[in-house]
Amino acid sequence: MFDISKIDYSFILKRYDIAAENNDTPEAIASKMLPKDPVLNKLASVVLYMKLKEIIPTVNEALKTKKPLEIINNGLVAGMEIVSVLYAKHIYYLPEIMMAAKVMEVGISIAEKQIPGGRETKGKVVMHAAEGDPHDIGKNIAAVMMRSSGFTVVDLGKDVAVDEVVAAVKKEKPLFVSGTALMTTTMTAMKDGAAKLQAEGIDIPYMAAGGAVNRDFAESFDLGIYSEKAPQTPPIAEKILKGYDWKKVREEWDSIVGGQ
Amino acid sequence: MTTKYTKMAYDNADDMVFGHAKKPISYGLGIKVGAGRVIPEINYAPRPGTEKSVERITKEYVDYISKDAITRAVTLGFPDLQLETEWVSQMGTVKGMGASIVAGQKAITEKMHDEYGINLAVRHTIPDQREAEQGLRLGMDSKFSYPEKFIECCETACENGTDVLCVESVGGKEFADYAVLNGDITAFLFGVGYLGSIDMEKIWTEMVSICKKNKTIAGGDTNCSGANVSMFMAGGLLDNDVQRTFSAVTRAISAARTMVAMECGATGPDKDCGYEGPIIKSITGKPAAQEGKNCQCAHADIQGNLMAQCADVWSNESVEYHPEFGGSSVQCWLGPLGYECSLMNTAIVTGQAKILRDLYMTSDRTRGPEGYILAYDNAWKIGKKIAENGNDYYLRAKAAGLAAANIIIEGNSKKELPLTRKQLDVVKKIVKDLEALPDDTDKFYEYCEKKYKDEVPNFKPKSYGF
Repeated sequence: MFDISKIDYSFILKRYDIAAENNDTPEAIASKMLPKDPVLNKLASVVLYMKLKEIIPTVNEALKTKKPLEIINNGLVAGMEIVSVLYAKHIYYLPEIMMAAKVMEVGISIAEKQIPGGRETKGKVVMHAAEGDPHDIGKNIAAVMMRSSGFTVVDLGKDVAVDEVVAAVKKEKPLFVSGTALMTTTMTAMKDGAAKLQAEGIDIPYMAAGGAVNRDFAESFDLGIYSEKAPQTPPIAEKILKGYDWKKVREEWDSIVGGQ
Repeated sequence: MTTKYTKMAYDNADDMVFGHAKKPISYGLGIKVGAGRVIPEINYAPRPGTEKSVERITKEYVDYISKDAITRAVTLGFPDLQLETEWVSQMGTVKGMGASIVAGQKAITEKMHDEYGINLAVRHTIPDQREAEQGLRLGMDSKFSYPEKFIECCETACENGTDVLCVESVGGKEFADYAVLNGDITAFLFGVGYLGSIDMEKIWTEMVSICKKNKTIAGGDTNCSGANVSMFMAGGLLDNDVQRTFSAVTRAISAARTMVAMECGATGPDKDCGYEGPIIKSITGKPAAQEGKNCQCAHADIQGNLMAQCADVWSNESVEYHPEFGGSSVQCWLGPLGYECSLMNTAIVTGQAKILRDLYMTSDRTRGPEGYILAYDNAWKIGKKIAENGNDYYLRAKAAGLAAANIIIEGNSKKELPLTRKQLDVVKKIVKDLEALPDDTDKFYEYCEKKYKDEVPNFKPKSYGF
């Protein structure tokens, strides 16, 4: 090997990850966002700092003085919202999202048992990886992000037959259905599924995502809308919740995923 | 029984260079790999919708993709070309589809070889659709019969004329997915390093047997389903899903697993997307297929030059077939791929190979921790740790992970490899986690079985013979 000891690597490449490193700490960001109420503050903190062992006693203690919905919305979800901010600022990463979401979900499951008739979520979505496709990690991440954003996820799993997707949509009546694919020849299952839904008179958006899928393909068939990355799914869902149909999502896609 | 590697094929890292392998191999229509010339390998995906019939997809693969690629290779004066077909799922499930495509590609390579004298071969990489939930071994999957289909695909590919048989096997993926999402190196070690190795021993013993029966080259495997997921999610310099130090350590662990194919009798070239290739080549001496700068059609990695350092086959990973200004996509991506091989081969024939190798390696050495541990000098050090612990799947994978983590920390402390605070924190925690694990394989299994009982519910011990 030639002598590399004196090489000035900065002449060859620039480490933008080092240059862009965020010096803020989770504590500094959180101090401006955590609820002032001490009980809610504790709930949000347990989610924010991913303290799985503390979540059950913390929620049980909070239930003595707070209503379940307040615990969920102003404590647990508030903590998760701070996690989302930390993720956007590159202070938290995917493992933190996963763990915080798990803590939040455990807390919600305890609190919502105290709500007569159960808790109403923002809406329901059916998710799956396309027929013939065993790759589902992207779908799983998006599902966590959807649940963390207050939606109910009906997860059909991977390699799901088109007819099974259609049957689930008819049964669950979701806001929209999403599918993922990593192969060019499995993503066509979503196009087939959308056609079958239309034939049944169902006109909900059919979100197509995954490594092989691009916006051109997703928008090449009726009902089809695109999600490039998992974090884009909740903001698109919020628009559908507000009444956007698949055509309007397409029209405003750039601004929706751009955070507007 | 397999013969495990406990010694290094290369006594010195400096002996490793592109185009040369300790154990070269010949196959196909004049292709010689690791014998002094780097071979370009073009990989492709059919257009959506072409899978609707056997006739249509055969036409896509044979009359369009294969013919386009070979014609372009001849047009540009490339002496060698390997085609790689990574089977789409329908090739393993629709009757006659796999056989039709394999036979069609065999026929067109023979025709073009006869016509132009170009050296050609076809590699078929069969799909591993086995699902952890259903079970990985024969008789376990009553819903899809994917383990049985796996074997059928191997037989179909070999009986219809593939030159090389490969797979991207998925043993341990249930833990790999969990590990990557949760930043849990122990789960990755258990899933990929230990269970994945056990699964590979099972399937590769069978694959090598099928290859021998059909006089087919048993190529190799890759941890695409684990370490590549980790690498892709770690992404580029501004991505923020998985830490690149975590990804780098998963890569080292995956090397201990992927080389099981070689221990079962695979001869190489292994799979291009196995970025663990330099480590495996240092141990086995068998030819490595790699990808990097010329696979940007499929994904961006941050060691695009470096991966050419020890490559014997140089690939584009995969490109969807479609028209571009300069021809079809396979033609346009074969151009730079073949010219890169031409540059490497010029370096070889002029005695400059080690200079070019070091230029490739140096240009990406500090772009990220994964490239850093794959730089051939560091890859060799990791290989040595694997070989020293070669008789035990768990211990050698753990040794690989620890070696990689310590190489990264040392590189950072001597100010060669910059890391963010988070990247450094993660790799230090990895060392702590790995060092805390038991030294006994049975105790490690018991520990993981208990620890992940609820976290990885789709784990079926029976899939791995437990």
